[in-house]
Amino acid sequence: MQPKLTAKALCADKEVGKISKVIVDPLSHEISHVIVREMNGQGVERQVPIGQVQEVVSEEEIVLRCSREEFGRFPVLERDQYVTVKEVEIAHLEDHLHVEPGEILVPLPRLEQGVPRRTFFTNMTHAIGTLIALPLAFPVLKYLMKPMFKPYDNAWFSVGNVKKVSKENIGFQFKFTRGFKEAFMPEQQIEKNIWVVKATPAVQKAVYEGNDRKFFDDKGEVIWVNKANSPYIGYSGKCPHLGCGYKWRKTKNFPEGVFLCPCHLSIYDEAGKVIDGPAPRPLDVLPMQVDAGGEVKIIDVEYKAGVNKQIRLL
Amino acid sequence: MWSIKPGLINKFGFCKSLGWNGERRMKEDSQSVNQQNAFEKVVEFVDERVGLKTIQAKMLNEPIPGGSRWAYAFGSVLLFIFIVQVVTGILLMFYYVPSTDHAYASTQYIIHEVDYGWFLLSYHFWGSSAMVVMVFAHMSQVFLWGAYKKPRELVWLVGLALFGIVMGFGFTGYLLPWDQRAYWATVVGVEIMDKTPLIGDFLARFLKGGPTPGQMTLSRFFVIHVMVLPAALAGLAGLHIFLFRKAGPAGPFRGTPEEIKAKTDYFFPRQIWKDIVAMATVFLIICSLAFIEPVVLLEQATPDPGDYHPEPEWYFLFLFQLLRLKIFGGEFGQFLGAMAIPGAFMAFLAALPFLDTNSERNIFKRPLALIGWTVVMVFILVFTVSAIINREFLD
Repeated sequence: MQPKLTAKALCADKEVGKISKVIVDPLSHEISHVIVREMNGQGVERQVPIGQVQEVVSEEEIVLRCSREEFGRFPVLERDQYVTVKEVEIAHLEDHLHVEPGEILVPLPRLEQGVPRRTFFTNMTHAIGTLIALPLAFPVLKYLMKPMFKPYDNAWFSVGNVKKVSKENIGFQFKFTRGFKEAFMPEQQIEKNIWVVKATPAVQKAVYEGNDRKFFDDKGEVIWVNKANSPYIGYSGKCPHLGCGYKWRKTKNFPEGVFLCPCHLSIYDEAGKVIDGPAPRPLDVLPMQVDAGGEVKIIDVEYKAGVNKQIRLL
Repeated sequence: MWSIKPGLINKFGFCKSLGWNGERRMKEDSQSVNQQNAFEKVVEFVDERVGLKTIQAKMLNEPIPGGSRWAYAFGSVLLFIFIVQVVTGILLMFYYVPSTDHAYASTQYIIHEVDYGWFLLSYHFWGSSAMVVMVFAHMSQVFLWGAYKKPRELVWLVGLALFGIVMGFGFTGYLLPWDQRAYWATVVGVEIMDKTPLIGDFLARFLKGGPTPGQMTLSRFFVIHVMVLPAALAGLAGLHIFLFRKAGPAGPFRGTPEEIKAKTDYFFPRQIWKDIVAMATVFLIICSLAFIEPVVLLEQATPDPGDYHPEPEWYFLFLFQLLRLKIFGGEFGQFLGAMAIPGAFMAFLAALPFLDTNSERNIFKRPLALIGWTVVMVFILVFTVSAIINREFLD
């Protein structure tokens, strides 16, 4: 039985006042006090702990345990020490407070009473939404994918003269600039570099393992063959580990010099073989030709870094 | 025991005359309307239609179990840093041009020519670092306080998504000046994403807008940095705060209900005071860093690194150092170090509130959690420091 908020509060069968408010504990979400407005005098509101409620007799009446004198000693409500539940955000308070019968109802309009139509409208809304989105999905995807895949560029670039390579089995850097045309942008000159090694037969063997190296275009046709006995070997400037630029450096452990990538410290010997560090494959050999005057030409091939196999990107 | 639904209190009518709204109305009634000045009338007009004062009261009157604490300031500070990043970011866009032939020059122009441009750019730069530091602090606090546990699982999950977005901001942001640091961090970062199973190649090409980094990469990173991520962050941060308010603050992890109740106060004023002091402190630190270490660009980006030793931003250094280890070498090792381990760690964090269903929140009674957190922090510290030591060895 739920007493109404105007319920009488009785002490020893005498009415002492009416309930005017309740106080809720914000942590436990339980009612901690009822506020009883005194009938006599100025009608002060007293704060009665919930434990003092002995019995809820009816909706109209609750009985308190205390005597009338004891009731008079309950503290007077100090209103400014409380806020209403409208003014404060207490999570889940409304889930915990309830009265029976507990819901406040408003009538559903007659037109809304046909449940099948509601379901129909829900489904139609979803269907039309999907119909709007579906034809957009493919064009949007294609729109965003436009620049992602490009044919390989198999043009030859001059990068310098082999006269520069004075010693065998040592890496020499060749810098070159190449044109780079992208979408709507004017053609830009970008700087790149490759490494060239004048290889002794032993190093040639380590690189080519006695076989000519073929290079393919996107249709799988051979565009160039590096001879297995060609003395000059060119390596792509891109580290096969994660794509940084590596250098030829002498270190404490390798006084002769090695290719060292400063990013993740992959170390390669003059044949491009990994001698230390995390790289998954040897340095990438480029398609290269050296003409009679010593001019070096390469195709600017780039492979995906970080994988065991060479997968051509450019 | 009986209890009452708040709606009903109204129905019975007594609350109307006693509630905060009611008190105000009563005052109005007794006061003649022309005693209000014009401003008060406007406020009254808006409030009557929008209920702003109720919203404000609800926002400020959030009970904090166990009372306000400095440890609860991190979330507010993050929101503050984000807002200033938005403001400085918008200001930078007044001059910045996201094209490969102008990005570097326009950034240099901001630094060297535009009045206070160096300061706004440096603030934006250090603000991003501050954001990462605060995210770590915020996550650590929530973890140590056990505040990710039921019923706050969704707050934690959305928080993890926000963590990812903050990292995405860092990653897309430092390509924009188009200097060597920018270029190489992006080259390596995208190569790492390429190792995502199944969609890696597509993802890398999608981000680069082609097989190699160039104008399309810059355009894409720019759009992601200034449109996609801010929208995502603002939306998710809103959801994060909504869910947090819905679940309520967790409060301290020890103390009896009586002790906690005795110390409870509202978000305003004590917690807001602590928050604003923390915000001011962070603001001053970011400003000082911007003054002491203003942003200096390296050479313009090119696929030839010259003498530059590529290195990511400091908060990615531990991952960078991890990938130097030989056990994370080779195709599989690299997948393990760059994808599987960070991915598994994030998945573990996401699953954490569902795995750890013990309701004990006291960190000193959760030895595994304490050890785990310490190990992760020590790991990050050791790897970051060794990356810095390696840097000296390379030079």
